[in-house]
Amino acid sequence: MRRGMVIDLEKCIGCRSCVVACKQHNAQPAGNWWNRVFTPGSARHLTPPQKGEEYFLPVHCQHCQNAPCEKVCPVGATYRHTDGTILVDFERCIGCRYCMAACPYGVRQFNWEDPKKAMKKYGYQAGYSYGYPKDYRLDGRLVYTPVRPKGVVEKCNFCVHYLEKGLDPACVRACPGKARHVGDFDDPDSKVSKMIREKNGFTLLPEKGTRPNVYYLPPKRKEV
Amino acid sequence: MDMKRRSFLKLGAAAGAASALDLKFFHYVGEAAASPGTEGESITRSTCSPNCTGACGFNIHVTDGRITTIIQSADYPEESYNPRGCLRGLSMMNLVYGKDRVKYPLIRTGPPGSGEFRKASWEEALDYAAGNLKKIMDKYGPEAVGLTVQVPGTGYVHKGAFVRLAGLAHWSIHHGYDQNGDLPMFWPMTFGVQTEELESLEWPNARYTMVFGSNIIQTRLPDAHHLIEAKKNGKLVVFDPDFCSTSAKADEWVPLKPDSDAAMGLGLAKVIIDRKLYDEDFLKDFTDMPILVRKDNGKRLRATEVKGLADEADNWNVPQYRSLFVIHNDDGPVILNPENLQPTNARLDGEYTLELVDGGTVEVSTVFSQLKDMLKEYTPEKVAALTDVKAEQIERIAVEAATNSPVHVIYGASNYQWYNGDLKGRALSLLPVLTGSIGQSGGGMSTLAGQYRIRFNLKEWWFPPGGKLNWVPYLYFLQGKGKRYPKKGIKAMVGGWGNPFDQHNMANQLRDRTASGDIEFVVTFDFSMTTSCQWSDVVFPATSWYENYELTATILHPYLQLQQPAIEPMFESRTALYVARELAKRLNSDFEKFFYPGLDEDQASQKIIERLLETGGYETKGITLEMLKKGPVRLHAHVPGDRQIPFYEQIHERVPFPPRSYPPPLKATARFLRSGRIEFYKDEDLFLEVGEQLPVQKETFSETEYKQDPEARQKYKLRFVTKNSLYRVHSTHSNNVWLNELQGNKPKVFLNEADARERNIKTGELIEIYNNRGKTKAYAIIDPGCRKGTTILEEGWWAKYLQNESYNSLTMPWIKPLHEIYFVPGIWSPTTAWNECLVDVRRVSA
Amino acid sequence: MSRSKKIGFLVSGLIMLAGLLAWGFQFKEGLVLTNMRNSYTWGLYVSGLAFFVGNAAGGLVLSSLIYLFGVKSLKPFAKLGALTAFANVTAAMFSILPDIGQPIRLYNMILHPQFRSPLVWDVLVLNLYAALSLIYLYILLLPDLKGPLKKIALKVDDPKAFSEKWARRLAPFSLVAAVGIHVITAWIFATQGARGWWNSAVLAPDFVAAAIASGTAVVFVVALLAYGLKEEFKEAYRTMAVIISVAYFVHIFFMYNDFLIHAWYGATEALETLSITFIDYAPAHAFEVLAPLVAVILLLNSKVRSSAGAMISSCLLLIAGIFTHRFLLMPGAFDKIPFTINPLGMQDTDWSLPIASGDYGSLVNTFVTEWHYFPSGVEMIIFSGVVAYACFLMILAVDRLPIVSEAKA
Ligand SMILES: Nc1nc2c(c(=O)[nH]1)N[C@H]1C(S)=C(S)[C@@H](COP(=O)(O)OP(=O)(O)OC[C@H]3O[C@@H](n4cnc5c(=O)[nH]c(N)nc54)[C@H](O)[C@@H]3O)O[C@H]1N2
Ligand SMILES: Nc1nc2c(c(=O)[nH]1)N[C@H]1C(S)=C(S)[C@@H](COP(=O)(O)OP(=O)(O)OC[C@H]3O[C@@H](n4cnc5c(=O)[nH]c(N)nc54)[C@H](O)[C@@H]3O)O[C@H]1N2
Ligand code: SF4
Ligand code: SF4
Ligand code: SF4
Ligand code: SF4
Ligand code: SF4
Ligand SMILES: [Mo]
Repeated sequence: MRRGMVIDLEKCIGCRSCVVACKQHNAQPAGNWWNRVFTPGSARHLTPPQKGEEYFLPVHCQHCQNAPCEKVCPVGATYRHTDGTILVDFERCIGCRYCMAACPYGVRQFNWEDPKKAMKKYGYQAGYSYGYPKDYRLDGRLVYTPVRPKGVVEKCNFCVHYLEKGLDPACVRACPGKARHVGDFDDPDSKVSKMIREKNGFTLLPEKGTRPNVYYLPPKRKEV
Repeated sequence: MDMKRRSFLKLGAAAGAASALDLKFFHYVGEAAASPGTEGESITRSTCSPNCTGACGFNIHVTDGRITTIIQSADYPEESYNPRGCLRGLSMMNLVYGKDRVKYPLIRTGPPGSGEFRKASWEEALDYAAGNLKKIMDKYGPEAVGLTVQVPGTGYVHKGAFVRLAGLAHWSIHHGYDQNGDLPMFWPMTFGVQTEELESLEWPNARYTMVFGSNIIQTRLPDAHHLIEAKKNGKLVVFDPDFCSTSAKADEWVPLKPDSDAAMGLGLAKVIIDRKLYDEDFLKDFTDMPILVRKDNGKRLRATEVKGLADEADNWNVPQYRSLFVIHNDDGPVILNPENLQPTNARLDGEYTLELVDGGTVEVSTVFSQLKDMLKEYTPEKVAALTDVKAEQIERIAVEAATNSPVHVIYGASNYQWYNGDLKGRALSLLPVLTGSIGQSGGGMSTLAGQYRIRFNLKEWWFPPGGKLNWVPYLYFLQGKGKRYPKKGIKAMVGGWGNPFDQHNMANQLRDRTASGDIEFVVTFDFSMTTSCQWSDVVFPATSWYENYELTATILHPYLQLQQPAIEPMFESRTALYVARELAKRLNSDFEKFFYPGLDEDQASQKIIERLLETGGYETKGITLEMLKKGPVRLHAHVPGDRQIPFYEQIHERVPFPPRSYPPPLKATARFLRSGRIEFYKDEDLFLEVGEQLPVQKETFSETEYKQDPEARQKYKLRFVTKNSLYRVHSTHSNNVWLNELQGNKPKVFLNEADARERNIKTGELIEIYNNRGKTKAYAIIDPGCRKGTTILEEGWWAKYLQNESYNSLTMPWIKPLHEIYFVPGIWSPTTAWNECLVDVRRVSA
Repeated sequence: MSRSKKIGFLVSGLIMLAGLLAWGFQFKEGLVLTNMRNSYTWGLYVSGLAFFVGNAAGGLVLSSLIYLFGVKSLKPFAKLGALTAFANVTAAMFSILPDIGQPIRLYNMILHPQFRSPLVWDVLVLNLYAALSLIYLYILLLPDLKGPLKKIALKVDDPKAFSEKWARRLAPFSLVAAVGIHVITAWIFATQGARGWWNSAVLAPDFVAAAIASGTAVVFVVALLAYGLKEEFKEAYRTMAVIISVAYFVHIFFMYNDFLIHAWYGATEALETLSITFIDYAPAHAFEVLAPLVAVILLLNSKVRSSAGAMISSCLLLIAGIFTHRFLLMPGAFDKIPFTINPLGMQDTDWSLPIASGDYGSLVNTFVTEWHYFPSGVEMIIFSGVVAYACFLMILAVDRLPIVSEAKA
């Protein structure tokens, strides 16, 4: 089983609902966003870079098969789960940020200050905080916690805390464009494998040799 | 034995039929797909329903009494509708728990607009509000209190409670639809209805989709995928002066000149007619095309005027709101039956001389002939000049559309929020009509503005016996004059679900009137401390849609849904039902009994929902509160599968136009279509006077800006388009921390490169947008998609984000006299035209 | 203790203390006190690592030259060399410590070391090098451990011979270790395909070259301060000047060799990184090249070498240049967002995907495509603290241990 995601850029309407769902469900502190959607070529999202040309690109952790972040981590805080997902152990990370320097996609985020303090900057009433409320451990390792320790790295975890409940990641469940799909890349008959085959799936920055587990389908296709 | 067996079988069959019927009837019931929660977590299915009217089902996950996560409930029976929702709905906790949440009843202490309030108890605030309203009612009459209630279709119980109160107290009331400029006036003129649209599930069934100024990717976000799917079996053409995100998804983008849509519609229609690509039978049976029009006075010929038909006409018994017009078939002139759409065999084309009862003769020709005549002016070349689109492209599109029906025309708000918006709609509706696409799955015309369309009969709750409402168009309130505008004026504003101090024309004047004491008292009911709250005398803290029971519907899909409390009301917030009941009681002790005094808010709300469902008519037949608690339930419609396909009954069952638009009775709207058919020819005097008996293209700004100030041509070179933002629902979410973070925390104004260069403006600079009515400020973005001569500000910023200068100080409530011919609140009424506005911009010297 | 030593002791002690307090503050508040953010994850502290590692080279290179290549003239400076090596390699580690978000969790390096990570290699080799330089120092000191210091002396029959023998035996290892710390530190960066600026085979040899230059210059300065300008050391100073010059030219050769190859090929990304150095940081780049060049020219001039002050200034100029070089390791890597693409359907466009900075302000843009880094006050104080530590340690050692005395004799 190799868990992978396919994002259909023809169907992506650049709405950033996945961005917000991710922020919310993964309790990301102020200033941190694991998932980003921008308009390639443009300084501002939803402003076309040139007349007649516009598409939208969601980017979060690509769960690389050859993941530099995993290889550089000195303590194994960033590690690979059996399904290929790259996770961060919040209890082991020493906060050296080597993985951030190593990631070609710039998807890793650091807790520069106490996330509780950061959260206060949002100015909620009565110390409110959001997010999936419980710690989640996989193989005994803390791969999700609603209140992150200060000084650790975090990033998209393929919503590992929802996996065992049989739920798709928050961004997939939230995508009103129906642009996101998850499935088994090892199975050639899975929906996602077929999509990649039949619709010319591609990966980002192939020249970096990271072999992502996130594929994209090109925009401007007639068949959706 | 035999006998017994047979009757048993019969019985069984009957039972089977009954249950089959039932099943069919309720096939479209969703079941909340309760996502498994964690321990100690509760999950409530509720409905997000701000003024975008998306009405998306959400599951609210709550731990320890606080919302932890929100996710689409994705429980609509048609998979295609799942998951409905967007970034705003997904970040609603930021408003529920945000820093601007109104926590307690507030009474103003400082001068108006100062934002100085003191916390008051409910009792005190209610007494204070009721006391002041009463004083005003006593002094100026009850109609001196004006109520605004926005998008009523999204909240039948609580919005209804305010309307009920206003009715009982005989207040004035404004209808949000024309207040917001969302009322597409071509609808009542052409189809006799308030507004209609296909449910988005039907969009992919179109073979040719033409979007005219509707930025669906952003403004109908949860439905947008249906538009993209419509490209699979059809073509998607987007007509928009700007390269908006929706243009980016189109098969073809047509960058037409702003406000030239009527010309485009007429040009396309001409090609279709000239090439005989139209659906002749459709025109004969369902439209006014064969009706004879007098050449002398431009009026439609009445049967009672025609010798040989007058006697017969006298014997016809038709409702008051119908007229007997004349058509010509192979046998000569005959009366057109307005109550029956059976095949007419009429001649579409023709000019005739007919004898009249008074002995004279009159020359007549059919509407179709007149239309063709009129269209002579709209040759592809002429239209190309008017629209800036190549003649060949216009011809090609016309042929493509005509040969690929059903055609679906989506007609956006920004497009009709122009002074002559009605002309555009009338011209563009020629396209689905000529191609016979009306009433077909995937075909027709849709306007996707706010949700005012009431989906069933709500009389039982909204209009109490003895109640009386003085409907005053909001524009009359702004202008301080007009029919039904109370003699002594409107002195108190009571409002909820809206933010007029930012969102409506002359926001600055509204402030001035409040500051000067012309408007003596303002009561606002909201959960966020909006600009309007800042300008209020009393602010009542409202529950959000995760803290109350409410019955909601929308235009985008035909599902009836509930709002259900996931958490306790925050702080001291209460429902509108409570506020209405308490105010009512204080205004008049007799009123209390109209508001379920014995029940608490939640019980009463549920009771009201039950009553509404029971009395709602065919649409809500058999739908119960219990069913709704489980998930969305499809409203019934006279369409197979309860699909939302406008005019299905009219076309397939040949029932006369128009269908009823709730809440007024049919007779109030049917008079707009006296022929019982789709009407392109309007012969009310005023239409004839201004030369708009048929849709035509008129020059932009000539009746408005240029008339008011001839120098505007030179002084203000940019048209001001205030379109809707992805990140807000109008001004709701203006203060949403994440959504602002996603936009760089700054309001932006978009400019074409050439316009910016001319004014020496660079990206990121602070810009002032101004005209002689007002000004506002935002940061410049050079947008390659923005047409030259246009400046775009995404509307909805609270004034405090715009250096305290509301962008609506620039707009102007123009009134088009045609919109005053009839008056049916929110259906035929003067409507606002946001885009009919000229400005210029300059750098704010740093 | 001499007056100047006392002042040095006091000043460095105070700065060290300030650094320590600043670190405590940063420990409490988090790295938000630095000017690094998600898009610019390493700054002064990591530059400091590279810098101090470089400075640490001098000592052991020196001793290996003496004992392996028989450059006898340098012999008097062997102990100073070992001392500076120890001081600098520990400073390197102290410099990286405040960069760690969860320093207390460093035990995970022992519990769960991942041997794939160049950082683990580096930690190992730095510790090894620290141990080695300490042992080396001890062995060199052995013959002079007298009086109260006798207690810590190893009981051997002939301390002098023992010292000589083991110094010679350890020399090859120290050379390997000295080269090793640079190579491996360089590998931390050079292995990163994500950062084109670092991802070069020449980075490791260049690190060695720059290290030999700066490391030698550090010993040079310390020697001048300790011994002053004496006739007997003339030859030694000349030798060091030559070593520095050769190392500098090799460094410049490596650096420009790399630049030239990238510039010639002209890949957009490479050009952009080059432009960061050559345009955005033009003055700094000029300094990193020219300051050492001037220093080298001066040091090679025998007239200059007749003034201690001039030599010290020249060396400091060179060290400053190399420090600038180390600092410039970061902008080329971080000023440019790693995720840069040519968007589909757009010609000649190079576009960077904005990154959430990790810092929220209600009036600022969270998403950035550039981050102009300059160390914050706290970073500078902490870094100064580390420099001060190295000075403090050396003054203390020179004062308390027979490091300089023997030479005088
Ligand atoms: N995200 C979000 N969605 C919303 C709302 C919201 O506030 N936020 N509000 C809801 C409400 S109440 C409404 S009324 C709707 C409005 O939603 P829309 O009908 O989509 O209106 P706008 O976004 O104002 O503009 C749509 C497009 O019309 C174009 N346009 C302007 N003038 C002309 C013209 O003369 N001709 C043509 N062909 N095009 C023109 C503009 O360039 C723009 O791209 O959105 C609803 N949905
Ligand atoms: N210049 C310009 N002006 C425009 C437009 C434009 O295009 N250009 N668009 C116009 C259009 S189309 C529209 S529809 C209007 C919309 O204008 P408004 O109807 O005023 O819409 P909002 O600004 O969203 O205000 C809704 C308010 O209701 C509150 N609210 C929401 N839900 C509830 C609830 O359940 N209970 C209570 N008590 N309060 C609630 C929200 O907090 C918010 O303050 O703006 C119009 N203004
Ligand atoms: S939610 Fe879906 S459609 Fe929207 S930006 Fe994300 S991937 Fe694209
Ligand atoms: S995208 Fe970055 S963080 Fe994710 S696996 Fe690849 S290298 Fe690691
Ligand atoms: S920051 Fe944490 S996850 Fe990243 S490399 Fe260092 S220890 Fe590993
Ligand atoms: S899979 Fe989960 S963590 Fe990753 S981007 Fe989607 S929502 Fe965020
Ligand atoms: S804001 Fe509108 S579109 Fe978005 S989730 Fe709520 S109702 Fe749906
Ligand atoms: Mo609207």
